Amino acid sequence: MIKIENLHASIDGKEILKGLNLEVKAGEIHAIMGPNGAGKSTLASVLAGREDYEVTAGSIDFDGTDLLELSTEDRAREGLFLAFQYPVEIPGVSNINFLRTALNEIREYKGQAQISAKEFMAMVREKSAIVELDSKLASRAVNEGFSGGEKKRNEIFQMAMLEPKLAVLDETDSGLDIDALRIVANGVNTLKSDQNATIVITHYQRLLDYIIPDFVHVLYDGRIVMTGTKELALELEEKGYDWIKESIDA
Amino acid sequence: MENSNKLSQFTSLFPSTEIDGLSAMANSARVFLSENDFPTTRLERFKYTRLTKLSNVQFDTSAAEFISDFHKYQICPDAIAIFVVNGHVFLPETKGPTGLIIDDISFAKSLPSSSMKDVFAAMNVLHAQSGVCVQVAKNSVIDSVIEIVHVCTGSYAGFTRNHITIGENAQAKVVMTYVSEQTNECFSHVHTSIEVGKRAHFNLEKVQMESSDLFSFSDEEVWQGADSVFQINTLTLDGNLVRNDLHIQVRGEHAETHLNGMYMLNGQQHVANYTTVDHQVANCESNELYKGIMDDKSIAVFNGKVFVRQDAQKTNAFQSNANVLISDDASVNSKPELEIYADDVKCSHGSTTGQLDDEALFYLRARGISERGATQLLLTAFMSDVLDKITVPSVKEKVFEVINKRFNWELTL
Repeated sequence: MIKIENLHASIDGKEILKGLNLEVKAGEIHAIMGPNGAGKSTLASVLAGREDYEVTAGSIDFDGTDLLELSTEDRAREGLFLAFQYPVEIPGVSNINFLRTALNEIREYKGQAQISAKEFMAMVREKSAIVELDSKLASRAVNEGFSGGEKKRNEIFQMAMLEPKLAVLDETDSGLDIDALRIVANGVNTLKSDQNATIVITHYQRLLDYIIPDFVHVLYDGRIVMTGTKELALELEEKGYDWIKESIDA
Repeated sequence: MENSNKLSQFTSLFPSTEIDGLSAMANSARVFLSENDFPTTRLERFKYTRLTKLSNVQFDTSAAEFISDFHKYQICPDAIAIFVVNGHVFLPETKGPTGLIIDDISFAKSLPSSSMKDVFAAMNVLHAQSGVCVQVAKNSVIDSVIEIVHVCTGSYAGFTRNHITIGENAQAKVVMTYVSEQTNECFSHVHTSIEVGKRAHFNLEKVQMESSDLFSFSDEEVWQGADSVFQINTLTLDGNLVRNDLHIQVRGEHAETHLNGMYMLNGQQHVANYTTVDHQVANCESNELYKGIMDDKSIAVFNGKVFVRQDAQKTNAFQSNANVLISDDASVNSKPELEIYADDVKCSHGSTTGQLDDEALFYLRARGISERGATQLLLTAFMSDVLDKITVPSVKEKVFEVINKRFNWELTL
């Protein structure tokens, strides 16, 4: 699905990612954990094509295409989805209008016909139920006046609507209470198939009780320094990140 | 001060008015012209608007060609339409509903005396060639939209004067459409006086879509009675040099005033909106919202004044101007002003100018929307609160049609 090799990326001349390697296959869920400042959000931003970041070396192969050659919108159209850590409020643009525009632009890119209004509304009803998002929220302005939990549910709702090949969840658990966390995790699990893959970026192990990862990676100082299974997440939860820092820095 | 050649040359282009209703004002207009010069940027009201080009244009005031298919410029298909084509008035062929009188302004016996804000306002008094008088009788509710279509062609230059009276307890909607055809540097100055009676409701949609070689000046002077509601939406969609001057005197208590504006500029357009709301009595409310989107090298000027006189206690007055620049070369001069002489009022004003939110653009693109599509979604959202104020659906459709064509966009309602 995605193969990242020797990725180096910097912002304002400061190198954040320093030779990151990661391979994710269809049907897998990978968790990326790490202390603050390790480069977790930078990885998410680079994958989505945020222009503030400069990729100085390395490659990203996304299902046979060179991801780094694509614009942000073309990455989304090829099936990459980023659930934002801080979803943006966009006053005046309705969630529905926004999603229909997105869906139709993706369809056009793939040479498919536009979605009919009826088909679209049926899809909205079906997908909003997955994350228990009130249909009223679906028709309000994008994230405007949404609570933290509603914003994150809205991210997963969008993911359900756009049916990506690879979803990157950037700290989706931050700011969520346990009920919202369960709803969001349940949404992600419902959408999982052997055709798609998920990268869960998180600081805490808590989310991984609900979204069970196949692999857990530790990102530290711009590189993946350790890979294990879900037990590694529990160990990190118990022992913190210091022992990793010490073993690497030593 | 001695009148400069520039001013006398310019005024000499225009024949004297034959509208009787203006004669009472003629003297003060003459005095004003003798004491003032052709405006330069040294004058506060024209600080940002260079008129040198206007004073040098060779207008042909006599030979403006006549066109016959002007009916196509009507925006509202079911409206009672009046056309003013190069200064010729074409009244509706069928009789309107009871309570509505539409006539050529030449028949008006007297017209409310207007303030001499600048030399053009004074020239209008002395040189207005034609115009329309719309009267809505007391207690009449006019369901149909009344549309006054101003058309300029060729190298027309001239002054037009309209008057609208909305009687006590009456209700009406007027659309004023400004268009042009095959122009070669036109000049048009339209003055409209509007009396809104007690408890009357009046809505005015001003739709400006003249071509890019037209100097289009228009003023509205409004008097509002007690318990009346007046709304004007000034929608500037095209034009070369467009100057709107709106002056509202709120003279009766518990009156409500809404003035909204939208300007969408590109190329080298220059659009200036000068507004004054003069609260003279207590317990009134005014809301002003002007928004602009500017591309290329366009320039916008917003100057909004709100006066709250000593007697105007309990006034609520709000004013806001917001601009989005979508090119590095566009500019805005925004000056909101409040002058408050009463001590128990709620007033606020604000002005913002910026670019589209990069974070929002990235968010939309990260969902598969092109940069172009994302820009259009955000611009539509930015304008939406002004667009929502438009009360005539066909006007709203026209706004989108014109904008999409000019900017090559696909905005949808």
